[in-house]
Amino acid sequence: MEWLSLFKHYSVLTIKERFQYKLNAILVSLAVFLREGATIAVIYFMLLRFGSINGWEMYELLFLYSYIFFTYGLFILFFTGLRDFEGLVRIGSFDRYLLRPRGLIFQIIVAKVDWFAAIGHGSLGLLLFLYSAFQVNVSWSAINITYCALAIIGGVLIQAAIFLLMASLSFTFISVSNLRQILYWNTRKFAGYPISIFHASIKILLIYIVPFAFVNYFPSQFLLHKTDMAEFPALYMYIAPAVGFALFGLAMLYWRYSLQFYKSTGN
Amino acid sequence: MDTVIECSALKKEFKINKRPKGFLGHMANLIVPKFEYKQAVSDISFRINRGDAVGFIGANGAGKSTTIKMLTGILAPTEGSITALGVHPQKDRKQYVAKIGAVFGQKSQLSWDLPVLDSFYLLQKIYQIPDQQFNQTLEQFTDILDMSGFIEQPVRQLSLGQRMRADIAASLLHKPELVFFDEPTIGLDVVAKEKIREFVRYLNREMQVTVIFTTHDMQDIEQVCQRLIIIDKGRKLYDGTVEGIKSTFGNEKKLIVQFESPACVYSIPGVSQKLKPNHVIEFSFSSDQVAVKDLVQALLAEHAVLDISITEQGIEQIIREIYEKGI
Ligand SMILES: Nc1ncnc2c1ncn2[C@@H]1O[C@H](COP(=O)(O)OP(=O)(O)OP(=O)(O)O)[C@@H](O)[C@H]1O
Ligand SMILES: [Mg+2]
Repeated sequence: MEWLSLFKHYSVLTIKERFQYKLNAILVSLAVFLREGATIAVIYFMLLRFGSINGWEMYELLFLYSYIFFTYGLFILFFTGLRDFEGLVRIGSFDRYLLRPRGLIFQIIVAKVDWFAAIGHGSLGLLLFLYSAFQVNVSWSAINITYCALAIIGGVLIQAAIFLLMASLSFTFISVSNLRQILYWNTRKFAGYPISIFHASIKILLIYIVPFAFVNYFPSQFLLHKTDMAEFPALYMYIAPAVGFALFGLAMLYWRYSLQFYKSTGN
Repeated sequence: MDTVIECSALKKEFKINKRPKGFLGHMANLIVPKFEYKQAVSDISFRINRGDAVGFIGANGAGKSTTIKMLTGILAPTEGSITALGVHPQKDRKQYVAKIGAVFGQKSQLSWDLPVLDSFYLLQKIYQIPDQQFNQTLEQFTDILDMSGFIEQPVRQLSLGQRMRADIAASLLHKPELVFFDEPTIGLDVVAKEKIREFVRYLNREMQVTVIFTTHDMQDIEQVCQRLIIIDKGRKLYDGTVEGIKSTFGNEKKLIVQFESPACVYSIPGVSQKLKPNHVIEFSFSSDQVAVKDLVQALLAEHAVLDISITEQGIEQIIREIYEKGI
């Protein structure tokens, strides 16, 4: 548990660091909250308008969306450092991480735990998730709750695996932000909807290439049993929570392999 | 003697990705990347013993920092092997880095927005330094490095000299037995440089810390290091004592003679002449070709001489010539 105390120590420092610019710290939380609130409002009103999509009722759609939202909120708390990693590589600050006797991923995570963005994002995500979870027709049995919790962790790990892959690629390519924009952010836009409504190519993208479907669609199906699940293997619902763990494990292996390509900087 | 670092045939080649422009270029690059190679270190081997203070010098781009980064485990050598403190710096990273310290003059390890002390406390946690040892070391460093005036100020408010001292302290809190300094005196004034040299000397002489030091200031080397390694274009050019370099490269001498009246000296084999104002002639020669005694005798026999002085090349000058001409 020694690492936990180090984690706390780092958190206090990052918060203190942010509070050097008090107003900015508060504004960041507020800005994130408002920006995301606006996104949700748009979706909410759109759903009101449509009523239902492919058999999904409004609250079910909200539930589907809130998975993406909530897991990102958790993700951003722990993995900001991973998201911003290419900056460390570009200016060579990663040197210092290598010089300290602690795990590299651990350092990357704890050095940049972003409580302010996470509070803005996470609180909204949690509210939305809980709100929609009680609106949809799901019996919250022990099994369902356990599944749901595991699926959330899995969903966080899927996104973490994508970012870890990008971080590993940044050793070779330095700038990966364009790639990330294409692979992550653009794909994520599709993931707010039931994937059954999309063309086959988008389905393949969301299931096999950037597997957002395992973050929200398949876990939601496990709980909601919508008829459009028929076109996908039922197995996917059951393995959804495990996908994140597996992908993160693979991403870790690739990360270890990629470390040798770190070049530092010329001075 | 106890070997601390042993490296052989180190080579580092940087693979540089040539990135084409535009979206299509970007995608093409991901699928079929194009690379260029740049050799930073070609072939370097040496052994460093416990308690050594070794200076690395070499022109800009010679490969000093790259070598240091390989020795600290930051970079993987393209070829060659390193054993340091009995382990492989990269494979046994955590074990190794717990026992070394590294100061990079160009890159601070302190948090920009936090007081220096906060960074120190964080390092205490990271290295799991017991409270008592930590407080004692901190007190000692604060004293020697004269940090009490700024230790509670955020790093962004410090002068370069203060920041460098704080950075040095930060790298040594865990009492490493082997410390790398990459240009720790860069951009500092004479007094600040002196303080840092004194401290490094103290570490090496009193604390028996093995020190590796790169710099462009020969004074640093002369005052801190017993041993000098000169690197040029990724290769080792010289490895020996600081004094030894004078006998290896610095055999150029100058005899400056002032004559009573304008003098015309016949040319002597191996000696070049340069006319200066006030009837002064500067004779340059290599001490292993021409003996000073013979030259002086010859001059005194034929001319009326007012004054004679002789100069040897300083290290600074020797190094400059090596950088300019190679060997
Ligand atoms: N990360 C990198 N990527 C590409 N080339 C690099 C990198 N780091 C160093 N180089 C190249 O390797 C060569 C050696 O650089 P290095 O930094 O080791 O020199 P140095 O001896 O420390 O020079 P200086 O005295 O200027 O600090 C240089 O030509 C440099 O351009
Ligand atoms: Mg350098």
